[in-house]
Amino acid sequence: MAMAIEDPINAAALIVAGLKKAGINFVATLPDEKMLEVIRAVETDKELKHVPLCREEEGIGICAGAYLAGKKTAIIMQNAGFLNSCNALTTTSLQFQIPILMLIYYAGDIGDRGFTTLGSVTEPVLQAMGFRSYVLRRQEEIDETLRGAQILADDSKKPVAVLLTKRVLGVK
Amino acid sequence: MQRYDYLKLIADDAKDALSVSTGWASREWWAVRPSDGNLKTRTLGLVSSIAAGLAIALPHRKVIALDGDGAFLMNLCGLPTIAQQNPGNFIHLLFDNEVYEASGGTATASRHADAVILAKGAGYRNAKWVKSLEEFRAAFVRAWQQNELTLIAVKVEPGQPKNLPALKLDEIENKYRFMRYLEATEKKGILNPGFDSKL
Repeated sequence: MAMAIEDPINAAALIVAGLKKAGINFVATLPDEKMLEVIRAVETDKELKHVPLCREEEGIGICAGAYLAGKKTAIIMQNAGFLNSCNALTTTSLQFQIPILMLIYYAGDIGDRGFTTLGSVTEPVLQAMGFRSYVLRRQEEIDETLRGAQILADDSKKPVAVLLTKRVLGVK
Repeated sequence: MQRYDYLKLIADDAKDALSVSTGWASREWWAVRPSDGNLKTRTLGLVSSIAAGLAIALPHRKVIALDGDGAFLMNLCGLPTIAQQNPGNFIHLLFDNEVYEASGGTATASRHADAVILAKGAGYRNAKWVKSLEEFRAAFVRAWQQNELTLIAVKVEPGQPKNLPALKLDEIENKYRFMRYLEATEKKGILNPGFDSKL
């Protein structure tokens, strides 16, 4: 099997193209070092409205407001940021049945040093909240996964998570 | 003066603005400005962020947030985000009664923390305290006409009039009516049943 190419700029272009093919047009972000190129690509894309955040939970609110007005929304954050957002995801997203596509960098994923505590709680918390989630490891699955996750979010009117790994982001 | 006195005063001025409210203010606002363009939030703090999302997505529509001091203080990190987006159609009202009214009346930190200084520090170019009904209304009308992001803060006594009609909506009905109202007034489809989706 071919090794993943460490090319974060190309990976970011693929992810942003995948978001747009999935119909996303409004993206709130809070950086993780591993997603810098993705966020840069969101910022420079003219078809996407980009809202940089100070804390992830307010992004759930901003995206909820934008959704009510007809936008197709995504939030890009680290798994620590997902944990920061849990109340808003419960009492806004779930309680009002508002979808949002969550692109979550999977710190503490298999093989990742320094974040295993965070990595350990990520999938159990997603599951406890009733959010369907998909770990995206292969760049050739970006389009299908983002589109499929957005269909699920839109149709179930719930948040859906796609966990982004270092490999799919083209970073070490 | 209580929050209700101020809300009553601007109910007509608010015309067809979208509103996002929190806590006890919702019942008061619905009583004086009944509309499917009213949304009541459930997450303490997010009233300003949800309103900002609407304002960013619909730059030609006026959006009013009816914020309280407890919610405002909980979402301080949302202020720089809003200021950075700088939606001119967003009027941020803060009714500061110095207590968590809906949670039993415990004091908030707002008697020590100055909301206007906080908003200005976060990047709001227009933020001011008003001290009377007349000043409040004038500031509201000015913010509307200027079309610039504005925080209008006012100290109010806790409490609300008795016998205000109870809200009969749950969150889901509130959401659908709000979205249908937007579809009707914006003349565009928003809700998109799965079977009809092109995705």
